[in-house]
Amino acid sequence: MTVDSLEKTIEIEDLYKSYGAIRALNGTNLTVAPAQVFGLLGPNGSGKTTLIKAICGILKPDRGNIRVFGLEAGHDRYAVRKRLGYMPQTPSLYDDLSPAENLRFFGGGFHLPDLQERLREVLEFVQLWNRRDDPLYTFSGGMRQRISLACALLHDPELLILDEPTAGVDPALRQDFWEHFTELRNRGRTIFLSTNQMDEAQRCDRIAVVMGGKMLVNETPGTIRGRGKTRVTLELEDGQRIEEVADYESALPRLLAEYGLGSQVKRISLKRQSLEEVILDLIADPQAKERQTR
Amino acid sequence: MIRNINLIAIRINRQFLRDRRFLVLSLVVPLLLMLLIKYVFESLPGLARLNVRISDYSILFAAYLVHFLAYILSTIVLVRDRVTGTLARMFVYGYRRREIVLGYIAGYTTIAGVQTALVLVLTSYLFDINLAPDIAAIVLTVLALAIVSVGLGVFISNFARNEGQVIPFIPMVVLPSALISGIAIPIDDLPTALQWCSYLIPLRYAVEILRGVVLQGESFFGQLLPFIVLVGTGVVLLASASLTLRERE
Repeated sequence: MTVDSLEKTIEIEDLYKSYGAIRALNGTNLTVAPAQVFGLLGPNGSGKTTLIKAICGILKPDRGNIRVFGLEAGHDRYAVRKRLGYMPQTPSLYDDLSPAENLRFFGGGFHLPDLQERLREVLEFVQLWNRRDDPLYTFSGGMRQRISLACALLHDPELLILDEPTAGVDPALRQDFWEHFTELRNRGRTIFLSTNQMDEAQRCDRIAVVMGGKMLVNETPGTIRGRGKTRVTLELEDGQRIEEVADYESALPRLLAEYGLGSQVKRISLKRQSLEEVILDLIADPQAKERQTR
Repeated sequence: MIRNINLIAIRINRQFLRDRRFLVLSLVVPLLLMLLIKYVFESLPGLARLNVRISDYSILFAAYLVHFLAYILSTIVLVRDRVTGTLARMFVYGYRRREIVLGYIAGYTTIAGVQTALVLVLTSYLFDINLAPDIAAIVLTVLALAIVSVGLGVFISNFARNEGQVIPFIPMVVLPSALISGIAIPIDDLPTALQWCSYLIPLRYAVEILRGVVLQGESFFGQLLPFIVLVGTGVVLLASASLTLRERE
């Protein structure tokens, strides 16, 4: 283990994975620093789940390296798994059993000394403690998702890997989830989550956008938003002039110079692209390039 | 390791008890099948003319029932674990391959044990045969067979991606077991090639032991060789099941 790798919770280098003719990961590179909420964004089929499974050591990449806590994710998977909590995309629990039985079973694999206490804590957090003994088949999709998250939190792992944790969860609880993620981050935990809900990107400390198994960006939401364009609309006496500029602060003087600041300029409005729009543009760009090359 | 095996076995049995329909089916189906065998074969006049007593076959049918029920059950449930993602979750939550395979064996052997007891009681009641003197040998043999069946189920489940794909694997084991294990047709009467093939059928060894002990009144120790082969098959299947259980897609 190098000193350098100690400073990174996850390091992924040049990862490839194909399912037959379909390339799920296509030379993926990524680093995740500790104590962050890291969001992996991308449309359906962009390789998010494949990447998450590879980090958890339940998927064997065709080539490339993954290190988690400086350990090799495949070879040292037993050591890695003790320190990570995993919430799969589908709830993956036993329907005939109750939440308490499911959590005791999965938590049992880690031999937690305070299992009973932790069980109560995590079920109270997802607000399902009062339903702990009901069979899971009586639960809705969103409730199962909450039990699945509770299961991932059970051993208070250093790294939480959550595959679309808020899918199917109602807005109020989603808010609670995010507050909890932030609180965990403040306690030094790393949260690596995937989402296809763009409004959640804003709440991450850092986001990576994945498309066709390749990383497009890995930056803070603020930096990504800074890449967005601004639509400048000048309303003149004889009509409107609209221009899209990358950096409106330097573009504005040029635009205004053309007209002076005379009475013919009636109104100036600026509309900056939202983070969501910038990300959607990023995703659309490689798709457009691909179409052109065909 | 023992603790995790135990946790898996308890979980399987808890699920089994929770699923009422499944519970009733797995206990009623053997009963119905034993009744079917009794009445169909007793109504065949040809068997009596040939001096065949169906009760001689009943214990062999009982072993066959346990074999195929345990095999099908464990294959389907393990495939379901893979499809729903609970198998992957077990791996991430610290369970190892050998613990999972042994946990399944322990869990299903308990279920198969209950089925065995039921089938044996039915056999002795329906066919009016006294199994008591040989009960230790019978239970030992049928349990060894149950372990082999679960091992086979776990092994076969590696080759199916979903529950539907399990179906073609069912007759592959069930039919040869019925035809060339020596239950219905004595192995010596089969063509030489099939006699050789029968060595690959785990049920053959259980039939050999049960026929010797229950029907020919031989001692269990006289059947030690087929018993060792049966147990050996179990060990080989367990080892291959835990080596082939895919942990990483």
